[in-house]
Amino acid sequence: MTRVRLSRWLLAIPMTLLALATIYPLLFTVNVAMKTRRDYILDRFALTDALRWDNISTAWNSVGMDRYFLNSLIVVTSSVVLLLLLGSMAGFALSQLRFRGSSALFLGCLAGLFVPFQVIMVPLARIMADTALIDTYPGLVLVFVAQFLPFTVFLMTSYYKTIPREVIDAARIDGNSVYGVYRRIMLPLGTPALLSVGILNALFCWNDVLMSLVMMPSAEHRTLMVGVTSLRGQYSDDIPTFASGVLIAAIPVLVVYLFLQRQIADGVAAGSTKG
Amino acid sequence: MPIGNVQPSVRPVSSGRTDADPVAAEATGRHRGTRPRRSRGGARAERFAPYVLVAPAILIIVVLRLYPLLLGVNFSFTGDGERNGTVVGIDNYLELLDDSLFRTALGNVGLLVLLLPVAVAIPGLLATFIYLRVPGHRFYRSVYFFPAVLSPVIVGAIFNLLLAFDGPVNAVLGAVGIGPVDWLGDPDVAMFVVVGVHIWATFGMALVVFLAGFATLDSALLDAARVDGASLLQVIRHVIIPGLSRTIAFVAVTTMVGMLTSMFGLLYVMTSGGPEGSTYLPEYYIWIQQGQMNRPALASAASTVLFVIMLVVGLLQVKLLRRAGGED
Repeated sequence: MTRVRLSRWLLAIPMTLLALATIYPLLFTVNVAMKTRRDYILDRFALTDALRWDNISTAWNSVGMDRYFLNSLIVVTSSVVLLLLLGSMAGFALSQLRFRGSSALFLGCLAGLFVPFQVIMVPLARIMADTALIDTYPGLVLVFVAQFLPFTVFLMTSYYKTIPREVIDAARIDGNSVYGVYRRIMLPLGTPALLSVGILNALFCWNDVLMSLVMMPSAEHRTLMVGVTSLRGQYSDDIPTFASGVLIAAIPVLVVYLFLQRQIADGVAAGSTKG
Repeated sequence: MPIGNVQPSVRPVSSGRTDADPVAAEATGRHRGTRPRRSRGGARAERFAPYVLVAPAILIIVVLRLYPLLLGVNFSFTGDGERNGTVVGIDNYLELLDDSLFRTALGNVGLLVLLLPVAVAIPGLLATFIYLRVPGHRFYRSVYFFPAVLSPVIVGAIFNLLLAFDGPVNAVLGAVGIGPVDWLGDPDVAMFVVVGVHIWATFGMALVVFLAGFATLDSALLDAARVDGASLLQVIRHVIIPGLSRTIAFVAVTTMVGMLTSMFGLLYVMTSGGPEGSTYLPEYYIWIQQGQMNRPALASAASTVLFVIMLVVGLLQVKLLRRAGGED
């Protein structure tokens, strides 16, 4: 027993080092963002002598991060709302209703999982250009929804399968139409899954760069992550401002992670165990 | 459940209709034989309801995912520029083979395949330790998972700072007498650095998947092995690996797909495919040809190659791991 205990403690040493290696790059960035340019050049590692917010406000105001932030917020919110709505509707029908062709439709949705954006980038950009949806909010929202819908439908279907049929049957006998069952029973009962899937989708959309880059070419519609990539050229010799821009993009994710870590991990785990 | 919202079950007979599904009514054994006449429109609406619910999702997936796939394959056999729209056979594919940048991209895919066992083993081992209740396992779990939620763009930007030639990592190495390494500027080093950063950023995701797999493992087996005095290595080899073969297969496939389709952000921010094109991957090549070189048909050919690679990799791994799982 003592031997086992000792070896566990020995394992804790490399694991702690790894934890430090995981967290240090971010702490370093926070520290740099608080420094003056001069301080950074003199000593990169020393703790900042004061909490300075000027770099953050410079990045926010003069580089256009405020605009990019708003763009991201608009696109991500609309995408997640649409994903949850369409995903839960389809998930309800595919898991609880018997109708001709349901398994073929389910397979059709799943097939979307195996088509990554990279593979259809060229034709999709062309479709978006032909329909004048390129460089518009609805265009990027549609591309996000199409990207993450197969996964959302899959998770909602497997979640709704766990709800006993009797619940639906009882609601039908009480005079609810199919739509009524969806609205009054399935949506409220689906809350935990909707929360998990919603957060995951929000992260995926917020963090995306390739789809945003291809679908939103103009600077006016740039999303936050694309904005961060453009920082590098502009602030290559002003590291603290650069670090501040990176931090602005990371803070929403950090906050979400601190409060909703459980739901994120649950969503990832659900996606794997139901596969 | 908002029971209060549900309409009363007893309806006035005079209304002559109910929305109750005949199947549901029969299943519960009530209402049998006294099924009221229903209005035709309502019944039809009910019959079509499942299709109405599925339609938007299936429409979006078909129009914006499956149809473009066919369109792209078709497109890859046509020409660019002056030959726009004309059928050119396999010219684009021949040009790809001839392009040293694309060959580098394929070579790097090979490197990713070779590094895959490492990318699977690291989170697997760490999950094992966490599962065996290393002191502080909850803390490790939440710290390790954290980079997985950060955008590759943010991760890449942070590592750009750390790995700059005159940056902090080289400063630390210099202090212990190891000469500065040009992490992102040396063609022999850069790809390993980018893959390393990718693994750093994503191992938490695989870790969570492994932990979910461990939750399904029969702990009695583990206890039995412990009582028999099995060492950690023996436990891993004879209990954990066979017990988790499904999870391992899943992690291997998703990690490989992740390496093939979610490194764009890192490449874009950290190396832009350089130095000397040494960090090209197919997805980056597709983007360059489509967006920068104005060669959409050539990009489509590269897309098709990437799709085939992903299919082959996926099928191969599932097959290999199924066989490995079957032997034990």
